[in-house]
Amino acid sequence: MGNKQTIFTPEQLDAYQDCTFFTRKEILRLFYRYRDLAPQLVPPDYTDKPDVTLPYQLIGSMPELKDNPFRQRIAEVFSENGDGNMTLDDFLDMFSVLSEMAPRDLKAYYAFKIYDFNNDDYICKSDLEKTVNKLTRNELTPEEVRLVCEKVIYEADVDNDGKLSLEDFQHMIIRAPDFLSTFHIRI
Amino acid sequence: IAKESRSHSSQLSCCPQCLQRTSFRRFGNSLSEYFHLLQLSHKILKIIGAKFGTSVLSYFIFLKWLLAFNIFSFVINFSFITVPQFVAAEPNNLSFTGLELFTGAGYFQETVLYYGFYSNATISKTEKGPSYNMQLAYFFTVGIYFVICFLILLFSMAKSFCRNFINPQIVSGIASKLLCVWDFNITNEKAVKLKQKNIIMQIKEDLAEVNQEVLNFSATERVVHIVIHLVCWVASLGTAVAACAGVYFLSINNLKVFVKEHKNDLKSQAAMLVLPIIASLLNAFIPFFYSWLGHLERFQTPGYQIYVTIARNTILKISIVGILCYYWLNIVAASESQCWETLVGQDIYRLVLVDFIFCLLGSFFGEFLRRIIGTTVCVNLGLPEFDIGRNVLDLIYAQTLTWIGILFSPLLPGIQMISFSIIFYVKKVSLMMNCQPPRKVWRTAQMATSFMLLLFFPSFLGVLSLFSHTFRLKPSEECGPFRGLSSMYDAVSEWMKILENYTASKWVVWIYHNLITSEFFFFILSVIVLIITYLYWQITEGRKTVTKFLKKQIINGVKEKRFLLEKLWVLQRRNQNPSAPRGQGQQVSLIVQVLLFQLNAWYDFMGFL
Repeated sequence: MGNKQTIFTPEQLDAYQDCTFFTRKEILRLFYRYRDLAPQLVPPDYTDKPDVTLPYQLIGSMPELKDNPFRQRIAEVFSENGDGNMTLDDFLDMFSVLSEMAPRDLKAYYAFKIYDFNNDDYICKSDLEKTVNKLTRNELTPEEVRLVCEKVIYEADVDNDGKLSLEDFQHMIIRAPDFLSTFHIRI
Repeated sequence: IAKESRSHSSQLSCCPQCLQRTSFRRFGNSLSEYFHLLQLSHKILKIIGAKFGTSVLSYFIFLKWLLAFNIFSFVINFSFITVPQFVAAEPNNLSFTGLELFTGAGYFQETVLYYGFYSNATISKTEKGPSYNMQLAYFFTVGIYFVICFLILLFSMAKSFCRNFINPQIVSGIASKLLCVWDFNITNEKAVKLKQKNIIMQIKEDLAEVNQEVLNFSATERVVHIVIHLVCWVASLGTAVAACAGVYFLSINNLKVFVKEHKNDLKSQAAMLVLPIIASLLNAFIPFFYSWLGHLERFQTPGYQIYVTIARNTILKISIVGILCYYWLNIVAASESQCWETLVGQDIYRLVLVDFIFCLLGSFFGEFLRRIIGTTVCVNLGLPEFDIGRNVLDLIYAQTLTWIGILFSPLLPGIQMISFSIIFYVKKVSLMMNCQPPRKVWRTAQMATSFMLLLFFPSFLGVLSLFSHTFRLKPSEECGPFRGLSSMYDAVSEWMKILENYTASKWVVWIYHNLITSEFFFFILSVIVLIITYLYWQITEGRKTVTKFLKKQIINGVKEKRFLLEKLWVLQRRNQNPSAPRGQGQQVSLIVQVLLFQLNAWYDFMGFL
């Protein structure tokens, strides 16, 4: 469009535009944010698709994530091998899903994966307990945590199998229309 | 993203339907990169969302949206009405004193700001060159702007309803949406801690089942409650009526003063400001009375209290605007003044300006002084919270005034544009300096949809019905683009008469006579719309029944699955038992096959669902 940038080839930029919900300028801005986390690790030129992965500690120290109780799960869900270390593609994917243009189903899918701590495609009681503890800074008694988790499963479990599947979670979202605007990180 | 291995997430992001729309998206992306202003507000919204969360953010997003309406209107009016008028402008003989900025009269009376200045001629720069019919331009510019606004509002409202699935069952505890409650926008440490405390409080309330207490009131207590509710409603409606009566008598007085004494000195000009100041004072202080009434009545849920307070405030504002419109259209239009449209335009200008000043003052007193009082004198009060409901209603009121004023003062959206931008920055600074994040639950999606409903129904449709009445009034004889006609609408009828003489445009005349002015056509249209609405309503009812049935089926299906699997397991164990006789083994394998077939059929049925 006039400004000659040498970070990505035009094909790469178009591919990024197609696969995320960002414009060219936003993708470049996100690249600079990614690079600012570790200027010595990230090369300024991505045309030859280097294989660079930033460790979780750097991602978790970003101002948008550092106070979020679920930052570790977010990084784990969007990283390739589930350990929290992210490449540039993972980074763009993460903020694309968390942007305001992502559709409800996509956000529901990823929110479900974030709250599924043991990665078994179901949110079971132990996952819920961990979630409640993160939401309340461990300030509730174990008895209260157990009661809340039981209540959540009672109210949200449609197919009565004692744990929440993705469909139960999507049903829960219908009752909380704020979800689309709260599951959103502005970058 | 090009790699196959990171398949699942990229498959979801690059779904086939999305790829079809990429060309549109790329075009939209390159367009939006030209709007640098969007990036500036993006940063501000991020800061606000980080500290205060989504609920307060919704106010600023609403303000930005209304600002877009005003920018659009100003651009259209300026290019189609004002610029041609500059070509045929008459010289302005009045002198400019600073007071015109407040009163809108004086020098401004003979400028493009008001309806009265526009000529009714067909302007052409050269003899026999292309001509520009100011009458039709004025009429159609305003008309087409409102049609476009109507469509935009309608689609936004429909999209909001669709996304948010407004469920009338408002009362439900936090447990039913615990996994959706965390606000990822909040990135400030203190705000995060506050939100977590909020969640703890909601969980404890839910576990204690405070909301679901079966309130067994005795008969007398119920009667007392109903009487209190009635008294409060009567009090609020009574204050609204009293406010309207006060505004009405004040405005009649205003007109008498203006028509009788045409002096342009300081005293009479200051007298013109009394009406807007009183109207704004009423709008500013009566809501406090209403929230006090709300505290008096003990509602079952706090959400219900918010809705009732907003309803009362809306009734107050709509009645004040309504009484002013009645005064303008029935009294000022029939008065002996030279140019009643300009008078109305000036009144609206003053109202908009004073409302803007009161908004800034409200921010100063309500937030800045309240913070100083809360931190030094009376420390129990603490920092103030941002009152989202009251601020959004103020915005809707200002936008209603602007929409009413577009016909009488075409550049009013430009003034409102500037005022909204200033309000945006002032509210943002006041918020960051003075307020604390909200402690109570505010259902953002539902409230945003309700506010859009309020903007559409009383506000916009009210303005539309006002215009349909205005178009039938007799315009002033001596000023404005419709002078000499018997109603503003006659401009179109006369144009149709001219068009009849040209064969090329006979279809336009046909459409006009048979579709737009024919009542029979609109009757048929209304009947068709009612039929379609009724059919859709019945389809929705049917779908509700199907949903209930399917939910039961899911539960039954899981039970059946468990039952079949248990049977299968038992039979397989028996089959493996070598002491079982041969014949029974064949029987068992047959039963196993039947059960497996049933299980497959069940899975097919589930897949079909």
